[in-house]
Amino acid sequence: MLHSNLCTPIDHQLSRRQWFGTAAGAAFTVAAPAFAETVKKKHKQVLFVWLDGGMSQLESWDPKPNTQFGGPFRAIQTSVPGIHVSELLPKSAKMMHHLALVRSLCTQDNSHSAGVERIQRGDPKNRGVTYPFFGGAVSKLLGNGDSGLPPYIWIKPMNGGFIPKDGGFLGPKFGALALGDGKPPENLLRPATMSVEEDLDRNELRNLVDKKYADRRRKENIEATKYVFDMAAQLQKRRDLFEAPFAAKDQERYGTHDLGRHMLLARRMLEADVTFVKVNSYGWDTHGDNFNGQGSLVPQFDRPFAAMIEDLHERGMLDNVLVIAMSEFGRTPRINGHIGRDHWPEAWSLVTAGTGIQKGVVVGKTNDKGTFVASEEHDIGHMFHTWFKALGIDAKATEYDNEGQPLPIAHEGFKAVKELLV
Amino acid sequence: MSKPSTSRTNLQTDTGRLPGTPNFVLPSPTVAGYSYLTCLKTRLAHFADSTMSRWFSLVALVVLNASAFAEPIQTAIDTLVDSKASGAKLSKPADDAELLRRAYLDFSGTIPSAEQARAFFADKSPDKRAKLIEQLLASPTYPKRMAEMFHVMLMERLGDYPEWSAYLKTCFEQNKHWDAMTREILRASSTDAKGASFFLSKRLENYGQNSVDYSALTRDIGRLFLGKNLQCAECHDHLFIKDYKQQDFKGIHAFVQNAYLADAKTAAVAERPTSGKLDYMSVFKKVPKQTGPSLPGGKEFEPPTLKKGEEYTIKPDPKTKTPGQLKFSPLAILAEELPKKDNSDFALNGANRIWFLLMGRGIVHPLDLHHKENAASHPELLVLLAKEFAAHDFDIKWLLKQIALSQAYQRSSEFPEGETKVSPESFRTAIEKRLSAEQLLAAMQQAMGVKAEAAILTKVNKAFANAPREPEDEINPSLKAALFLLNDPAVLAWLVPSNGNLVERLGKLTDDKIADELYLSVLTRLPASDERGLVESYLKKHAGQREKAIGRLAWSLLASAEFGVNH
Repeated sequence: MLHSNLCTPIDHQLSRRQWFGTAAGAAFTVAAPAFAETVKKKHKQVLFVWLDGGMSQLESWDPKPNTQFGGPFRAIQTSVPGIHVSELLPKSAKMMHHLALVRSLCTQDNSHSAGVERIQRGDPKNRGVTYPFFGGAVSKLLGNGDSGLPPYIWIKPMNGGFIPKDGGFLGPKFGALALGDGKPPENLLRPATMSVEEDLDRNELRNLVDKKYADRRRKENIEATKYVFDMAAQLQKRRDLFEAPFAAKDQERYGTHDLGRHMLLARRMLEADVTFVKVNSYGWDTHGDNFNGQGSLVPQFDRPFAAMIEDLHERGMLDNVLVIAMSEFGRTPRINGHIGRDHWPEAWSLVTAGTGIQKGVVVGKTNDKGTFVASEEHDIGHMFHTWFKALGIDAKATEYDNEGQPLPIAHEGFKAVKELLV
Repeated sequence: MSKPSTSRTNLQTDTGRLPGTPNFVLPSPTVAGYSYLTCLKTRLAHFADSTMSRWFSLVALVVLNASAFAEPIQTAIDTLVDSKASGAKLSKPADDAELLRRAYLDFSGTIPSAEQARAFFADKSPDKRAKLIEQLLASPTYPKRMAEMFHVMLMERLGDYPEWSAYLKTCFEQNKHWDAMTREILRASSTDAKGASFFLSKRLENYGQNSVDYSALTRDIGRLFLGKNLQCAECHDHLFIKDYKQQDFKGIHAFVQNAYLADAKTAAVAERPTSGKLDYMSVFKKVPKQTGPSLPGGKEFEPPTLKKGEEYTIKPDPKTKTPGQLKFSPLAILAEELPKKDNSDFALNGANRIWFLLMGRGIVHPLDLHHKENAASHPELLVLLAKEFAAHDFDIKWLLKQIALSQAYQRSSEFPEGETKVSPESFRTAIEKRLSAEQLLAAMQQAMGVKAEAAILTKVNKAFANAPREPEDEINPSLKAALFLLNDPAVLAWLVPSNGNLVERLGKLTDDKIADELYLSVLTRLPASDERGLVESYLKKHAGQREKAIGRLAWSLLASAEFGVNH
């Protein structure tokens, strides 16, 4: 253990993992049973939509029609006079009065493999530690809600499982529980062949064995064991989150494609008070055939995203939920020989909305051709400061304590973007 | 207490290296006995704050102790543990059931069968425990178990490679000593000791456009072979641990910075030529520094200045993928220098880790934080074990046997009479140890009388193993594991009678015979009378669904904490 000279040697004998709390590499904190109503109301949440590969800002939030690099798509009006977006976002355009666009992003990394992690970790200064992803950070800083589920849930195509690395130095406890294609983790649900009574019965037997074993032994092991089995039982109780069907009307509004279904499940998770819900969409890396590619993908995003904003607003959840949709970089204005656009971290956009965020605004702008940022540039560090602020966390006053090493929660060279915040 | 003499004692012969001029004096070793040792310890503790290294002062202590300790190591272990307990109660010896299960898990990686258990309990010979240890150490299950254990310790779930596992198994079949193993692992030769290079090769991989993580490789060498986690000494001297300097980190870094992955498929590691020293600077004190490859507290090796094209004695051939032979190979030097007898870090770390494997906690804990302010729970014991380990040429099996024959190892994990709290570092009570995924799978198969397919090992690994680079040195019940035990179809299938499995065998017995057979098969012990009673009444209550009731009883033991740990 790494402490100042003030601590006594006995402290060195605590293990690292004990320091981060009891049970379990893969367990999650669960809120204490008594959660005050006021605290429940104030529990902030995040919806983080990750468009992996690089959504083209020119085919979405920052169109430049009729310019050298603008491409074939037109711009359309939105519900906010003066703000235009690509015609590929008709439904989101109608939601613009809830949204804030940032068109002045200028970041450091033009590669996927390093870039994705750098963006999601907030690209902090290198201090020899691995920072948590935004989801892990928010889970740590905001804690669990009332859901009985882990604080950080990741809905994605293909495989699911527990992804401990998202927790970084915070530890595997702040990793993501990934729902592959929205399905619950392996073994989450009691098999249909077993009745509730049988399940209770066998666990009662098990508890008796454990009680006897622990009688003359150290209690920590039994307590940790009980904790995880209780957690399993609690998840079992929330199986409705995974099994209950969705209303046909909702399925129609969100769409039955992957991202549509996943966003609908994300809404349910947010309604269940999960702290951080990440939704991944893949395939945005249109180095070739960009216009058909983005032309197909952007509407697939537009439909469920607009439906989500509408639903969150209707439920009053935009007061508590921070919404973000972004990629790891934008795409080049220059159109390459494959009618594609390549990576462009120099000038790109994202959309954000919800708690603490201004409504119906555009922050920053690019030049006429969309090649570079013409206003103040914003790095991902600015955004992290801003988002933490929106969640009620002062990034300048809050630090992580990594076994005695103090670490800023966002890059200390940047600060929150005032125009984005309420 | 006699007056200290002013003549210096030359411990050259014992340490092989004097790290700085000794500036303390030893009292004349004329008096033997406990009070002398106490006095000496106090005296040496006083000197430990001086510029002298801890190794030096404690070796001095051991040299003097040697005259008081003419006893075998297994006995010395108990003398030192008991004396540190200073009169506090020790747990009683483990009963036959506890010890049998523990020894099987530790040395064979699985539990004994019900018949083996019955036979051991019935054996009346007074030395049956020592015979058991001997038998297990000589069994073909020993190399397999040790290979798995060292694989988890050294690779920390970064990946698997069949040739690496085969290499480890061969090492333990031949009882290759720890220094020889270390040498082969760090040399990562592509011609000798095939498979050993995986330790380095895996850590020299990179993903996509991310660069190779040399910092992590440097850290792992420090942690796993020297017992020092130098992570926070990469960019500056460690802010809290005075013993860990940036020079220590950079020195090791200089050994590996030019190593690279030549071929992932064959785990081949090669080195680029090293032409000069490594430049570095603390982020706090902007003083430019340089270092050649060096180990903490060890000598610095100067890379020669060689003209381009003259770095090799045998040039590499990209066509045949041969790595060639460098005139100055940092890896060759590292492999040679690190496991030397005079490298106290190596001996202390080795002894501490082997102690941990059997005792559930290092004498220095955590295992990778040896430094002055992280006091060993039993400093003299650790130094004695390290010294003897080195004196026995780092013979792993020898050290394991010494520890296994001690009373400390064979103690019960139940508290002493009347106590409800015993600090783990006292070793007054045996520490419950985590079972690896490999041990669990083997034990579950043995208990349930089933043979699992390979796919189940993957599932078990996912459920019970840690994430990569999370050392598996503590019991950590996980949600995944609980869900696996509760709901996995494979586990539930084991509870259905078939193919002579446990539940089928039990189904053929009368109610009154089931408890004994069940408990012996799964928990390696006989049931207590109230447990027998519970089983019988449970079976009676569910007589209409006997098969399922037996299944649930078996499951409750399989999923119990008692089964899931090594106690």
